Amino acid sequence: MTAEIERIVAEATAALRVVGTLDELEALRRRTTGRRGALAEVLRRMSGMPPDERAAVGARLNEARAAIDAALDARGRELALGARAAQFEAERIDVTLPGRRAPLGRRHVLHRTLHEVERIFIGLGFEVVEGTEVESDEFNFGRMNMPADHPARDEQDSFYLGGAWMLRTHTTVVDAHVMAGRTPPMRVVTSGRCYRRDAVDATHMPVFHQLDGFMVGEAITFADLKGVLATFAREMFGPQTRTRFQPGYFPFTEPSAELAVTFEGRWLELGGCGMFHPRVLEMAGIDPERYTAFAFGLGIDRPAMVRYGIPDIRLLWENDLRLLEQF
Amino acid sequence: MRVPLEWLREYVDIPETPEDLAEHLPMLGLGVERVEETGGESVLDLEIASNRPDLLSLIGIARELAAWRRREVRPPADALDDEDPPAASAAGVEIADASLCPRYVAHVIEGVAVGPSPRQMAARLEAAGIRPINNVVDATNYVMLEWGQPLHAFDMDTLVGRRIVVRLAQAGETLATLDGVARDLDSDVLVIADARRPVALAGIIGGADTEIHSGTRTVLLEAAAFLPASVRRTARRFGLRTEASARFERGLDAEGTMRAARRAARLIAQSAGGRVLRGAVDVYPGPSRRSAITLRLARITRLLGTEVPAADVLAILGRLGLEVRRDGGRVYAVPPVGRRDLEREEDLIEEVARHYGYERIPEAMPVEAMHPGHRPQRLEADAAARDALIRAGLVEAITVSLITPRLLDRFGLDADDPWRRAVPVVNPLTADHTHLRPCLLPGLLEAVRVNVSRRRDAVHLFEIGRVFAADPDGRPRERRSLAVAMRGGWLQGIWDHPDRGGEVSFFNLRGVLEALAAELRVGSLAIGAGGPGWLHPGRAARINLNGTAIGVAGELHPDVSARFDLPGRTYVAELDLDVLLDRAVLQPRFAGIPRHPAVRRDVAVVAPVSLPHAQVHAALRETVGDLLERVELFDVYEGPPLDPGQRNLAYALTFRAPDRTLTGEEVDVLVGRIHAALPARLPVAIRT
Repeated sequence: MTAEIERIVAEATAALRVVGTLDELEALRRRTTGRRGALAEVLRRMSGMPPDERAAVGARLNEARAAIDAALDARGRELALGARAAQFEAERIDVTLPGRRAPLGRRHVLHRTLHEVERIFIGLGFEVVEGTEVESDEFNFGRMNMPADHPARDEQDSFYLGGAWMLRTHTTVVDAHVMAGRTPPMRVVTSGRCYRRDAVDATHMPVFHQLDGFMVGEAITFADLKGVLATFAREMFGPQTRTRFQPGYFPFTEPSAELAVTFEGRWLELGGCGMFHPRVLEMAGIDPERYTAFAFGLGIDRPAMVRYGIPDIRLLWENDLRLLEQF
Repeated sequence: MRVPLEWLREYVDIPETPEDLAEHLPMLGLGVERVEETGGESVLDLEIASNRPDLLSLIGIARELAAWRRREVRPPADALDDEDPPAASAAGVEIADASLCPRYVAHVIEGVAVGPSPRQMAARLEAAGIRPINNVVDATNYVMLEWGQPLHAFDMDTLVGRRIVVRLAQAGETLATLDGVARDLDSDVLVIADARRPVALAGIIGGADTEIHSGTRTVLLEAAAFLPASVRRTARRFGLRTEASARFERGLDAEGTMRAARRAARLIAQSAGGRVLRGAVDVYPGPSRRSAITLRLARITRLLGTEVPAADVLAILGRLGLEVRRDGGRVYAVPPVGRRDLEREEDLIEEVARHYGYERIPEAMPVEAMHPGHRPQRLEADAAARDALIRAGLVEAITVSLITPRLLDRFGLDADDPWRRAVPVVNPLTADHTHLRPCLLPGLLEAVRVNVSRRRDAVHLFEIGRVFAADPDGRPRERRSLAVAMRGGWLQGIWDHPDRGGEVSFFNLRGVLEALAAELRVGSLAIGAGGPGWLHPGRAARINLNGTAIGVAGELHPDVSARFDLPGRTYVAELDLDVLLDRAVLQPRFAGIPRHPAVRRDVAVVAPVSLPHAQVHAALRETVGDLLERVELFDVYEGPPLDPGQRNLAYALTFRAPDRTLTGEEVDVLVGRIHAALPARLPVAIRT
């Protein structure tokens, strides 16, 4: 019987060498250590043996079963690994193929600039208000200290809509509306489209964007105007930015100044500013003896162009995706 | 204003180089456009603000330089050797309306010999950009540049009745002006006339019949003041902008006429000979008075935020030509002739600030009660809407708000379409900007066209902006609109399904609008079939929110596409954004996470193709009620074994009760209700 066992072990060892798949391995297990396998057959025949001989053969049989099972398990692990590897190989992809994606939307570069400017003024404690693009001549010019036939009107050549209505030529007009309805102190910005009768060229469009702000209080000074705008400029264009205030003329401010900032080694003109003319305050029902106010109006289109290196203003309005997708 | 430096030095010392001036004059508010070198002389080209007619003169500029460096101004000589008889005996002047012409000064010079001007005068005029003509006309231009007061010289012998009448023209009168144009006049035009006919457009240009010529013997020299608005209107009407009108428009001081007239008479007598008749004819019905302006020194500090020493205040105002007197904390200052722009305290403070130096005013931060900066709800909602569309994958466009109705014609609108009520611009500049846009789509589709013409087929744009409509009340109505245009591929990198290519469909567009509504939390949009004629009749939808029509969406009609040069299919929508923004909820409240499990069941409904999904969806909801948490359509199938004209709609239903775990039996009852009710309400069968 022991010889029988040795033969089974030898055969199993030999067979194991040629097993190539997990199925063949299981078949071999069934034939050898399985419930109806060769070793089980030996065990069954052992029932007729004398007890002392049976113990020795039984011990050998258990050894043989353990050895064969261990060998089978080891081979099984080898085969399983191989099968995983084959599966992975079969599932190999080319990771260098292009990615699949839905488009990312974008804000227009001009609104992006407007938004940045607005955000800085919100940070400086300004409240944002909204105005209308259709305005009355009375507010757009009259309340801005430009009565009919005022020569400064020539610089703001306007589109008229019939009756007293026109397209606003500056967002400063919104200041007049806000001031007329409130009691100081006020710290307000407003922005949006303005219109002037300018022929289209590389630097002009009949439609453009402005952001206007003003502050009314009992102790507001020209020094405050300089401080607020210089702070804005450093926030917008970097901490090294310098500001320049040159005397200018606007009928609605006195004193008036033109604001420019340094950008990439050159002066970039941002807009006009000054202390609101006492007549503008009076027309809004604010006592100019008690209150003073500064106001500023910043262009958006031109600074956006310079800041982002866009050479022609028409590009802002063309909506060529090759431009829009760069921002 | 062209300023030859050599000439300017006659009135003030200028040790600075032209480059120094170019750098510093802007700090005084005098913009330097460029510095020219001509014939060894420097000419500054200055940009002059519209409130400073005095700076259209060399003396005015000299005063600025004097105040800047505390120098003295040397005014030109105007002493006259005039002789009897008096000018008034030789010429008459009459002003019909003193509100249009407050003053008219006339000198008479007899026995002139017209010829070329002295070389220096001619050279200076030329450097200043004015063509020399003869020694009489040149003298008037020379003084105009010195004092800023335009003058005119008439050949006195051509003036009928030897009279000047300043009056409005009469309809039917004409005047041949010096530029060789015959002009038709009417009663809006102020003219200088003689006893019979107009001889000059007041303050703008002279007439050809009365001009100085080589044979002129007697000169009537005019120095007058005119109402700026009248000159401005007439100059605009005739499209004439002359050196004279540019000055009168800005408002000249009637007080400045006499000294300019004397100076010009002197120069004419010097260069053309002749004798100046005694005195001048001076018609000046209501002499204007110059009065002192009170300037509080404390107010300077209050407005500028820095203290300017009183000595500086007095020195600056004094050099600018004001007569100043200090009394404690107050300065009383009388502006010089020609500075009509100085009217009140703030005007003087600006003069002080300019010459003290804006750069010397410190930077400060306002000290006021603190309020947090913020945006109102509507602007927050506007920002949220843009943000949602951008996150949905669209690119923001901006288009010009002025359009031409020709662009609208491409839509083939009905006569009563609201978009036809575009607001016309009364004075358009170009033919393609004649109206305010009544909607955004025409402009946005133009942007799509531009991209497609540049071989970019996948275009997904939106614009948010104001649109306008005429209103019987007069004031054009203004609303915020949203337009979307989508066409071509959506996903990139579909290399494994090149035939499908990720082309957008109506449902991409619809998905964007649904995402927007969800993001603004306005409730769900009701999107039903139908729409305007410019959409594909089978692919057009109207959009409602809580029963209010807010817009349309669909595939652009092929005819309209063709008019925009767009091949293939383009999907568009336009919505009244104000309605959405009004209802936007920007601060959601946490609704909790369900504590009890949901039960999912699928239901397949076979329905005619013509039956909208929305009706099946609504019937499912109504049949089950609140326990039906979600209805998701996950498959739509047409084809065998279904009959033609039928389709299978497969819904995944999610049931959930907020307060307990639903049992299988309960859900079975609900599904059973669907099986019974749906075929009874709709022409459908439930597949089991």
